[in-house]
Amino acid sequence: MRRVAVTGIGLVSPLGNSCAALLESLTAARSGIRRLEGERYARLAHPIAAPAAAEPSVATEPAKLRMMDRSTRFALDASAQALSQAGLEPGAFDGTRVGVFIGTGMGGAQSTDDGYHTLYAEQSDRIQPFSVLLSMNNAAASWIGLEYGFSGPNLTFSTACSSSAAAIGEAALRIATGAADVMLAGGAEAPLCLGSMKAWEAIRTVALPDPQDPGASCKPFSKDRSGMVLGEGAAILVLEAWDAARARGAPILAEIAGYGLTTDISHPTHPSVAGQARAMRAALEAAGIAPGAVDYINAHGTGTQVNDAVETAAIKQVFGEGAYGIPVSSTKSLHGHLLGAAGALEFAIAILAMNAGFVPPTAHLRRPDPECDLDYVPNAARAHGTIGTVMSNSFAFGGTSVALLGRRTV
Amino acid sequence: MDTYQRLVRIIVDEHKLPRETLRPDARLDEVGIDSLAVMELLFQVEEEFGIQIPNDQVKLETIDDVVRYVDSLRAQQAPAMPQRAPS
Repeated sequence: MRRVAVTGIGLVSPLGNSCAALLESLTAARSGIRRLEGERYARLAHPIAAPAAAEPSVATEPAKLRMMDRSTRFALDASAQALSQAGLEPGAFDGTRVGVFIGTGMGGAQSTDDGYHTLYAEQSDRIQPFSVLLSMNNAAASWIGLEYGFSGPNLTFSTACSSSAAAIGEAALRIATGAADVMLAGGAEAPLCLGSMKAWEAIRTVALPDPQDPGASCKPFSKDRSGMVLGEGAAILVLEAWDAARARGAPILAEIAGYGLTTDISHPTHPSVAGQARAMRAALEAAGIAPGAVDYINAHGTGTQVNDAVETAAIKQVFGEGAYGIPVSSTKSLHGHLLGAAGALEFAIAILAMNAGFVPPTAHLRRPDPECDLDYVPNAARAHGTIGTVMSNSFAFGGTSVALLGRRTV
Repeated sequence: MDTYQRLVRIIVDEHKLPRETLRPDARLDEVGIDSLAVMELLFQVEEEFGIQIPNDQVKLETIDDVVRYVDSLRAQQAPAMPQRAPS
């Protein structure tokens, strides 16, 4: 099995539309969560979310743009950044050996919402001709392939909150086994339309607004946590066969050291300690490393009462007493929950922070919970120059559980 | 403006294609209107002429084909059908 390198990272996020901007927001513990203004959100009980830092700015023809949902545009923006960093020039590689694996939970949600609005609210039959293209869940992955000439394996993974973590792990496997030489892997999500937000409200997982500061509404691991806050954006990684990346002098940001994929079948939404622990153990076994080698964990840490307590117990089960010595943070406290794109964004954050020598904070952690007693890097980022291996957890409704391990290479 | 002129205006303004290349006998795919763009064009034509174009596949190769198709639908559907049910 070949080793897999990460040679590019691109992102569009509530904390910034570039890796540099995101790192700056994380070190400043600046929240991207805010109150949503405007009539389209008036029917939400709590119009709080984490919108992307800027609107998509895809450089392509207007005719193609009209066929692209917001989530696809985010994916293309992030892909452009990642490919630019990786230094992969169009035409300088064999496109049949380059694939695209994208994770998304809700696909072209905004376009779907618009279509239903036309049909049911306006009682009109004039549905956009490109509705299918706009809404289909594979749109982002397809457009990346089309725009850049990548005709290798092209798949879309939809496993709710672990979609893009699974996409990255699966993409790494394709390179490791020789099915592809380069993979664009990550996720995109743009769920901030009324229909999707109402649905998340209805399943009672959404946070109450913080009375003083809407930006502080997501409080993972804190006693007063009340739920998750939705976010939008995309994160795309360029993965390459290690030897080829080295040979062409590509920047190597990290090695994909391990990928654990398991299913928590205890309940459709309520996670189990054993289920989450199994994913983390699977990643460690795949990597052939001991729990003690992990220097930082980016938790799933949604900010719900249930997940955060279960995840804490699961980390203790896997890491034993050593759990107390590992910084564990939930950056969802600052960027919200990007659903299908969460895994990719958070794994990217873990890698970026590892290379920058700090651990990102769990923000808004003001009331300790006796059930959550690990080192969550509360409220402020912390310098940590010796991060060699990072873990990123993604646990999902429906049970697909993923843990990714990244190893520093410099 | 007759049907042809109104159609040309849509192609120029909405599809951003150069007026100089447009003639009644010009092939749609040669002036830059591919199979997907044709769908958009028909959607815009419905709005412009107040007609409903059936979703069935129809063979339209030249601009003139579109003109004749639109005129036949206008004749069939006159007076103009309401676009939306009253709210």
